Amino acid sequence: MTTYQNNDHLAGDFYTQNFAKTAGEGNLILNLGPQHPSTHGVLRVVVELDGEYIMRAEPVLGYLHRMHEKMAEVKTAAQFIPNMGRVDYGHALGWNWAFVGAAELVGGIEVPERAEYIRVITCELNRIASHLLWWGAYLLDLGAFTPIMYAFDDREKILDILQDPTGSRLTYSYYRIGGVAKDLSADCIRRIQEFIPWFRSRLPMYKDLVSDNIILRKRIEDIGVIEQEVCRRFGATGPVARGSGIKYDVRRAQPYSVYPKLDFEIPTSNLKCARGRYDVRMAEMEQSLRIIEQALEMMPEGEVLVKGAPKPSWKVPKGEGYFAVEGARGKIGAYVVSDGGKNIYRTKLRAPGYCNLSLFAEVSQGTILADAVAILGSLDLIIPEIDR
Amino acid sequence: MEALFSGLSALYLAKCDAAKTGQVFQAFLPASTLVRAAERLLAADYYIEDICAVDCAEGYVVVYHFDHFEAPGRVTLRVLAPHASPVVPSIANVFHGAEWHERETRDFHGVVFEGNPNLIPLLMDPDMADCFPLRKEDKARAKAKDMLEAGEVVYCHPSFTLMTPDAPAEAKESGGDKPATA
Repeated sequence: MTTYQNNDHLAGDFYTQNFAKTAGEGNLILNLGPQHPSTHGVLRVVVELDGEYIMRAEPVLGYLHRMHEKMAEVKTAAQFIPNMGRVDYGHALGWNWAFVGAAELVGGIEVPERAEYIRVITCELNRIASHLLWWGAYLLDLGAFTPIMYAFDDREKILDILQDPTGSRLTYSYYRIGGVAKDLSADCIRRIQEFIPWFRSRLPMYKDLVSDNIILRKRIEDIGVIEQEVCRRFGATGPVARGSGIKYDVRRAQPYSVYPKLDFEIPTSNLKCARGRYDVRMAEMEQSLRIIEQALEMMPEGEVLVKGAPKPSWKVPKGEGYFAVEGARGKIGAYVVSDGGKNIYRTKLRAPGYCNLSLFAEVSQGTILADAVAILGSLDLIIPEIDR
Repeated sequence: MEALFSGLSALYLAKCDAAKTGQVFQAFLPASTLVRAAERLLAADYYIEDICAVDCAEGYVVVYHFDHFEAPGRVTLRVLAPHASPVVPSIANVFHGAEWHERETRDFHGVVFEGNPNLIPLLMDPDMADCFPLRKEDKARAKAKDMLEAGEVVYCHPSFTLMTPDAPAEAKESGGDKPATA
């Protein structure tokens, strides 16, 4: 018997207390997460419910905040590259690219052509792996267990391929300022060539078994409609914007590397709902295969790291630069301001998931709770990237 | 592009080389016309990319990045917030996504965005909300003109010396507290 009674669960914490309730009488406040099977990672959403309907939702972030931007202030540019794989484990190479791209932009460093093709090939493989991770996990959210087994089977093959040049399976730190760390071996190229037709044969099966499945269709069609104007006000990019019919892809809009030489399409959907975003991602995997196929054929022989590439102690010259790449979740941006000192003066990381999630409060209003989970999943959230 | 900023009493307008800096145009604005500039950008179908602050010797340079879905080209707005009282009006009622970016900037630099509907800690723990990890010490601060891209100047207000190279050390119009060495 103790006299102390912990009533914290009744009073709520800082964020529940600061949650602006709507006027509704008898509405229920529910904390979804931070540890909940249907909120990936440690995302917490405070929702106000009237019965099953969401009156107001407010995502609470910061549970995975590691302050990468502060770490950038105490490391040299080259030492900071491994942080990039930790920002977004889903599409680590996209982040690698954004940061080294920004350093190369300010430093005026050219990248050898072979390295550009290797970047394209590995980045696109990583994009497929990221979309497969989303696909499996999203269907798991919606109650379908089997697809993630197939997705991880395919993803495993990509991880095996990328393990050879990068030396890791998840948090890659492979790109260097002025190129990449290691050339693709003949064995690695052979495995990529084998992977392409194999994965291509799997996609129709996924369409038949999953995408056209009536249960899935009923769960995601007309759910979470995002208007184009909402995308602009919140800065949504990537499959979220393309699922609303905005034909915007950084690879085409602000071309970088050798993408202008490659022939691929930008899949869009005018459905604007979760189904639209689903369709866009499924179509993107096929386009990534096309890109890899062409890049393998066009890749010239040569160096993979520019001669006289920056050493770890290299100082980024004075200046500012903003470099963006198309990540699996949207526009990844690295904004670098350097005073010419040992460490970069200010590094700002633009996470696409951060902007995509910020529109959730508006879009989820008035939907039922089960649909909110379908909307959250359709945004393809990687929480470490959002919290940084 | 210049027409977009007419009548906003802009302090500094410059074209930039996108291949070198990733932006096509930049504008330094007084805090008073920031919201109107954001409204015009929204009307011109720009979308918000991000907001961040750079802690310079003259004050916090708050940087707003915008881009366009149909006609790509990054436009940068900048506002100087003095170290002594870093207050900037919020654009969260124009670009609703700005709410989070502004909260993040408050967490990291302590810049206060007046009019933000919900200016509570976002990424930082509420218990350490006032530690502002990205603020620099006085002697570690560098001058804005030494780092930020000057670009091809289209217009520069006579009293605006923040970006003028080799400006004599004189009192800044912004009222920001000067470092001891300036």
